[in-house]
Amino acid sequence: MRISAANAFDRSVSNLQLRQRELTEAQEQLTSGKRVQRASDDPAAAARAERALAHQARADAEQRALDASRNAMQLTESALGHAGELMQQVRERLVSAGNGTYSDAERRTLAEAIRGLRDDLLAVANRGDGAGRYLFGGQGADAPPLADAAGGVVYNGARGQLMASAGEPTPLSVDGEQAWLMAPDPANPPATLSTFAVLDSIVADLLTPNRPPAAIAQTVAEGVRRIDAVSDNLQRWRARAGESLNRIDAIGERIAQTRLDAQRQRSEAEDLDMVQAISEFQTRQTGYEAALKTYATVQRMSLFEYIR
Amino acid sequence: MASALMTIGVKAMQANYAALQTTGHNIANANVDGYSRQSATLTTAPGQFTGSGYLGRGVDVSSVVRAHDEFLTREAANARSLAAMDTARLEQLRRLETVFAGGEAGLGHAAGQFLNAFVDLGNRPSDPAARQVVLGRAADLAARFAGAGSALDQMQAAVGAELRAAVGRVNDLARGIAEANQRIAAQRGLGQPANDLLDERERLIAQLSDLVQVSRVDAGDGTLSLFVGGGQRLVLGVGADTFSVEADPADPSRFAIALTEGSLKRTIDEGSLGGGSIAGLLRFQNQDLVDGRNLVGRMATAIGAAVNEQQARGLTLQPPLGTIAGSDLFEFGGPQAQAHATNARGPGGAFLGSVALTVTDPYALAASDYELRQDTSVPGNWLVTRLTDGTQVSIANGGVVDGVQISVAGAQPGDRFLLQPVGRAAAGFKRLLDDPRDLAAAAPLVARQAPGNTGTASVASLSVGVAPLPVPGATARVTFTNDTGSYAWDLLDGGGNLLASGTGLWQAGQPIPAPPVDINGFSLRLAGVPRTGDILTVEPTPAAAVATNNGNALQMLALRDAALVGGRSIAEGYGQAMADIGVRVQGSRSAADISSAVAAQAEQARASQSGVNLDEEAARLIQFQQSYQAAAKVLQVAQSILETLLSTAGR
Repeated sequence: MRISAANAFDRSVSNLQLRQRELTEAQEQLTSGKRVQRASDDPAAAARAERALAHQARADAEQRALDASRNAMQLTESALGHAGELMQQVRERLVSAGNGTYSDAERRTLAEAIRGLRDDLLAVANRGDGAGRYLFGGQGADAPPLADAAGGVVYNGARGQLMASAGEPTPLSVDGEQAWLMAPDPANPPATLSTFAVLDSIVADLLTPNRPPAAIAQTVAEGVRRIDAVSDNLQRWRARAGESLNRIDAIGERIAQTRLDAQRQRSEAEDLDMVQAISEFQTRQTGYEAALKTYATVQRMSLFEYIR
Repeated sequence: MASALMTIGVKAMQANYAALQTTGHNIANANVDGYSRQSATLTTAPGQFTGSGYLGRGVDVSSVVRAHDEFLTREAANARSLAAMDTARLEQLRRLETVFAGGEAGLGHAAGQFLNAFVDLGNRPSDPAARQVVLGRAADLAARFAGAGSALDQMQAAVGAELRAAVGRVNDLARGIAEANQRIAAQRGLGQPANDLLDERERLIAQLSDLVQVSRVDAGDGTLSLFVGGGQRLVLGVGADTFSVEADPADPSRFAIALTEGSLKRTIDEGSLGGGSIAGLLRFQNQDLVDGRNLVGRMATAIGAAVNEQQARGLTLQPPLGTIAGSDLFEFGGPQAQAHATNARGPGGAFLGSVALTVTDPYALAASDYELRQDTSVPGNWLVTRLTDGTQVSIANGGVVDGVQISVAGAQPGDRFLLQPVGRAAAGFKRLLDDPRDLAAAAPLVARQAPGNTGTASVASLSVGVAPLPVPGATARVTFTNDTGSYAWDLLDGGGNLLASGTGLWQAGQPIPAPPVDINGFSLRLAGVPRTGDILTVEPTPAAAVATNNGNALQMLALRDAALVGGRSIAEGYGQAMADIGVRVQGSRSAADISSAVAAQAEQARASQSGVNLDEEAARLIQFQQSYQAAAKVLQVAQSILETLLSTAGR
C-alpha cells in the first residue's frame, strides 16, 4: 500500500494529539482525585454518588432534628429533676407544718414558703427550650402553657407532643397538661390531680387560722399523699424524657453510621483508586513518549536524504 | 537519417521533461488537501514502415492523468459525513451534560437541601432565622431551575446559530460545485481531463460532506449532480439550489432545514439527512435537547406543584393565626400546546383549533412531549402519542394522560398539536414568597393520644390530603375496639354533633384510615401498638399553637421520599436523569470515536490511492532525470552523426 505523505503526517499528528489528550485526562483525574467528574465518565456510578450525596445531606438534616430533640429532652429532664427537688422541699415544709406545737403564725410562714415553691414550680413548668418553644407546650403554645386563672392553673397549650423528624419521630416537647395537671390519683382512680391545685389547697389550709389539730393533721396526711402522687407523675415524665434521650442516642448512632456509609458509597462510586490511576498515568506517559520518539525517527527518513 | 534519430531524442527529452514536470507538480502539491497524484502517460509512437520492418519513432506524451478511485472517494466523503454528524452531536451533548451536573453544584442537591431545610423549620417553627433559611434555599433551588432553563434556551439558540452558519457554508459550497461543473464541462471539449479542476470539485464536495451527506450522480457530460436527504437535488449540472433555516412547523421554537427549489420550499426531515454536522445538530435539538428539557421540566413541575400543594394544606404565621393557609411558594412555566403550522386557520390567519392543558397529578407526569391528532377510528376522540416511546392513547375531550388533562376546542380534522406538559417549566421557575411568615409550617390539625391509653401507640405522622379541610373545626376520634387493630372512628362538629363514622382494621405501617378513605381529609400513621380502648383524637390546631406547631413542616420533609419524579424520589429521579444524559454522552462519544476512526481509515484508503508519496516521487525524479540524460545523449549521438556526415561530405 502506498503511504501518502500528507495523510501519514496528519494521522501521526492526530495520534499524538490523542495520546496527549489521554495523558491530560489521566493527569486531571489524578489532580482532582475523582474518577467520575461528569456523569458520562460512568453514568451508573454518577447516579450512585448522587444518591449517596442525598443520603449524606439527609443524615446531616436528621442530625440537626435529633440535636433539637436532644436539647429539648435534656432541658425537660433537668426541669423535671428540678421540679422533683422543689416538690421534696414542699413535702418537708408540709411535714414540719404537722408539728402540733406550731402556732398559726409559724404555719403561715411555712405556707408562704410553700407558696414561693409553688411559684418556682410554675416557672419550671413554663421553661422555654431556647428555640422559642415551651418545654411543656405540647403541640404548640404562644404564651406560657400553664397559667394561673380563676379556679387554678389551666393549660393553654395544644395537647399532645411535638415531634422532630430524625428519620423516625423524636419528641420536641412534652404535653404539659398530662405532666403537671393530670397526675393519676392512686387512691381515687380514674380521677386525676393537678400539681398546682394540690399545692394551692395545702397553702389555703395552712393559711386558715384556728384550725383544730386533727384538721391540720388531716391536711398534712392528705397533702403528703397527694404530693407523693403528683411527684410520682413528674418523675414518670422525667423517666420518659430519659428514655427518649436513650432512644435519641441510639438514633444518633444510626444516623452517624448512615452518614458514614453514604460517604463511603460516594467515595467508592466516584473517587479514584490512586494506585491504579498512577499506574495508568505511567502507562499513558510511556505510550506518549514512544509515539513522539517513533514520529521523530520515521519523519527523518526520506529518499531525498540519500540523493544529494 | 540523423533527423529521425534527432526527432526521437527530442521527443524523448520532451516526454521525460513532461514526466519530470508532473513529478515536480506532485512534490509541490504533496501537502495540498484533496490533491490527486498525477502521472504523465507515455505511449510509444507508431513505427515507420520500411522494407526492413517498422522503425521506432520514439515516445509521445499522450495524457496527464490523476490517480483517482471513484469508489474510495465516495466512501471517504460518506464516512466523513457520519463522523461530522456524531462529532457535532457529541459537542452539543457535552454542553447539555453540564446542566445535569452532580454533586453539591447540582440541581438534585439543591432540591434535597431545600427540603432538608424544613428540618430546621420543624425544629424551630417560630424562629424567623429558620424560616429565612428555608426561603434562602427555595431561592437557591429556583435559581438552579431557572439557570438550567436558560442554559437549555441558550443551547437552543446556539444550535440555531450553528445551523445558520452551516447552511450558509452549504450554499456557498453548492454554488462553488456548480461553477466547477460548468468549467469542467467547458474544458471537456479539449479532450484531456481537467485534473486540477476535478480535484477542486472533489475538495468542495468533501467539505460539503462535513456539513451534509450527499449522494452523487455523474451526468456523463463532465458535471456531477448532488442530492441530499434521500433524493432532493442540491446541485444539478451547473445550477445549485439553496438551503435555509426555518422554524419547525411543529414547534416554532425549534429549527428545521428547508431546501428551496425554484419557488418551492420543502422542509427536509432530520432522519433522512443521513450524515453531516447539520444532521447531528438537528438530532441533538429534536431528541436530546427536548428530552433534557423534559427531564428538568418534570422535576421542576413535580417539586413546584407538590410544595405548593403542601403549602396550601398548612397554616402560616400571618394574622389572624390559624386561619391563613399557605399560598404558592414557587411559580414555574405551565404546560403548553403548540398548533402545527399547517393547521386550519380562520380568515384572520389565527388557528381555528386550540388545546388547553392542566396538570391534575404532578406525581404522574412523564418527561415527554406528546402529539395530538384526530382519532380516525373513534369519532370525537383524540389520539395522543407519547413521543419518547410512541405509546398511543385515545382519549375523549377532557381526558387525562400521564397526569395532564387535555381539552381540545375548535380543532379541525387533520389538525396536529404538539403538547409540552413540562418542557417549559424550568425556565420561568421562581420563588414567590418573600415574607418568612408566609411559610406554612403548622398543620391545620393536631393529633394526640388520650391520657388513659394503655397501648404504646402514638401518632407518628398526621397528613392532611386536601385544602381546605372539608369540615373546618370538626374533631375526629379513633377508638380501638380490640388488641388486634380494629378501630371505630367518628367525626364530630364544633357543637358535638356526629357528622360521620366508620370502622377499620389497622395494620402496622398502614395509615388510618386505609386509603382511599380519609376522615375529614386526613390520615394518620402510628408508631407503637394500640390496645383495646385506646383513643386517638384529631382536632383543629388551636390558634395559640400555630406559631410553634410543625406538623406541615414535617409533611414537607416527607416529600423527600415521595414518588414525585416518575415513580421515584427526587434524589433518585435526579440521579436517573443524570445517568440518562451521561449514557447518551457516553454512547455518542463512542459513536463519534468509531465513525471518526472509520473516516480516518476511508481517508487513508483514498489517500493511499490518490496521495503523493515523496519517496516515490524522489525515485521518479531520478528515473526521469536519467531518461532525460539518456535522451540528451541520443541527441548528442544524432548530432555527432550529422557532423560526421557533414565533415565527410565537406571533404
